[in-house]
Amino acid sequence: MKLSRALVYSVLIALLLLLPAVFMVLDLGFAAAALYFCVQYSIMAMAWNFLAGYAGQVSFGHAVFFGVGAYTTMILLLFYEVTPWVGIPIGGVMAALLGLGLSFLFRLRSHWFSLATLALVTIFLLLFQEFAPGRAAGLQVPIVPPEKEFYYLRYAGAYYYIYLALAYLGVEVLLMNYLVKRDVGYYLQAIREDEETAMSLGINPFKYKVLAMLVSSFFMGIAGGLYTVRFRFVDPYCVFDILLISIYPVIASLLGGMYTFWGPVVGSFVFVPIFEYVRSNIVTAFPRYFGLHFLVAGIILFLISLRVPRGIVGWLEAKGYVRRPRYGG
Amino acid sequence: MVDLNSLIGAVVSGLMIGSIYALIAVGLALIWGVMNVINFAQADYMALGAFLGFVILEALGVDPLISLSLIFATVFLVGILTQVVAIEPVLEAPVLSQITVTFSLLLIIRYGLEVVMGPYTRIVEVPYRDMFIRVGGVSFSLPQLIALIVSLAVAFALYLFMSRTFLGAALRATAQDMLAAQLHGINIKQMYRLAFGIGVGISAIGGVLLSLFYPIYPEMGAFFTMIAFICVVLGGFGSIFGAYLGGIIIGLLETVSALFISPSLKTLAAFIVFILIILFKPKGLFGR
Repeated sequence: MKLSRALVYSVLIALLLLLPAVFMVLDLGFAAAALYFCVQYSIMAMAWNFLAGYAGQVSFGHAVFFGVGAYTTMILLLFYEVTPWVGIPIGGVMAALLGLGLSFLFRLRSHWFSLATLALVTIFLLLFQEFAPGRAAGLQVPIVPPEKEFYYLRYAGAYYYIYLALAYLGVEVLLMNYLVKRDVGYYLQAIREDEETAMSLGINPFKYKVLAMLVSSFFMGIAGGLYTVRFRFVDPYCVFDILLISIYPVIASLLGGMYTFWGPVVGSFVFVPIFEYVRSNIVTAFPRYFGLHFLVAGIILFLISLRVPRGIVGWLEAKGYVRRPRYGG
Repeated sequence: MVDLNSLIGAVVSGLMIGSIYALIAVGLALIWGVMNVINFAQADYMALGAFLGFVILEALGVDPLISLSLIFATVFLVGILTQVVAIEPVLEAPVLSQITVTFSLLLIIRYGLEVVMGPYTRIVEVPYRDMFIRVGGVSFSLPQLIALIVSLAVAFALYLFMSRTFLGAALRATAQDMLAAQLHGINIKQMYRLAFGIGVGISAIGGVLLSLFYPIYPEMGAFFTMIAFICVVLGGFGSIFGAYLGGIIIGLLETVSALFISPSLKTLAAFIVFILIILFKPKGLFGR
């Protein structure tokens, strides 16, 4: 039976919109928390993949954008009483500005770029530890009376935050789809495959890399802002965490398929539940095995690097189960 | 005003910690030089070495300095196994696959160690751990002094191996021109295995030396990975001598800058130097 693309999409979207409500009614806190993480990591992985998968710039430093977005939202809320409804987008803008500022790193090619971005995370961690408000201790959203819940976006459980994150994921998907369907997607891939040739065809690689960086860092900052309202606490160690923030989107993208549009989302929805399950059920029960979830992540990364380098979506496309889109990817 | 004695003290302890950085960096440079692979897990083999020393001391009461060659041999074999299982399949693959494979090794070794040993910080209880040698107004920690001497000896041994033996010459030939070396009958695959084994084995020696005066924990590699990259970039990728000197320089930079700026910011200086170097002098100070 041939299913139409539109039907599959509508069913998936309906399911995503329905699930949090079902979880809320059935009081499935853990499932909701995991679903929230899936969506948050989808935003992050798509953002990372736009720069790495499409433009070929493999960044290990995306935690800096996440952290700046998270801190911006938190500082606006805490010191200026700006609602996160406004604070989260501003966090995204701040992250994008930082991305613009860091564009000089595009002088570096392949692994040099990766190394430099990796170092950047440590630099930001040290700087924020020393100079940011709250220093190493971090900042916390105060408890607010119920009538201010909406203004402060402070709700119990993950349920409402899933919808918030889904809304941003939707915006991201639409924007990236728009860009990829137009010439930008082709230009970025041309640059990824061979920068010299792209240049000889009249494409300005720097311009398009910066564009990819802007989009990528903006949504990474958005994810940081979402994290702030969801967990109400930021400190330099959480938001500039190399593994959880910088590398997990990489693993999710690779697992799903880097050079595909939906790969990062698929990867996040497969990877994050496994990881969350191990972390909450095994590591919490046996603190002695702290680190087991990272070990599992490492083994997954190892296996995909060696066995399915094109990821789940890439593999499905190669096998003919999924049609390869005519544009981008 | 910084007085002379504390400056001398800082320089000496910079040399000592730098000599550890240097060993990890040398291994990284060797692997990169021979087969163009950046080993993100380099510093985790260091942690592996440190914990092997700890386990042997706890179980058999043998001082890590005595079991040093055994530890080197063990990690050397682990390195060869890694090369065969993980690196060889991706040598022809795009750079990204190589990066992600060695990154997965980082996760597997670091957190495998954590699962096996538990997330605790350990002290390697050697009898001379807290001994000092006083010269003039400056006192030196004995285990740090031992570390410096052993590190220099290991570097010298590596130099002799690379310059005086046939295997060393074959390694250098592979690094210079893989194809030409192959045409001269050198088995490239085995050279790669040798390079990876020696590279991570030397790193493990660094870990053992560090454990004599520093607490050890399974995640200790996190900090040293970045430091090793900085040293190698400073020294010029692929230059073994440069990597060693890079290690010493970063050690000095850290301890001396700690005197002048806040100690918690000393690492920052090293990282900023790193970014500046790869931006403006990507071949490093001693690059080829």
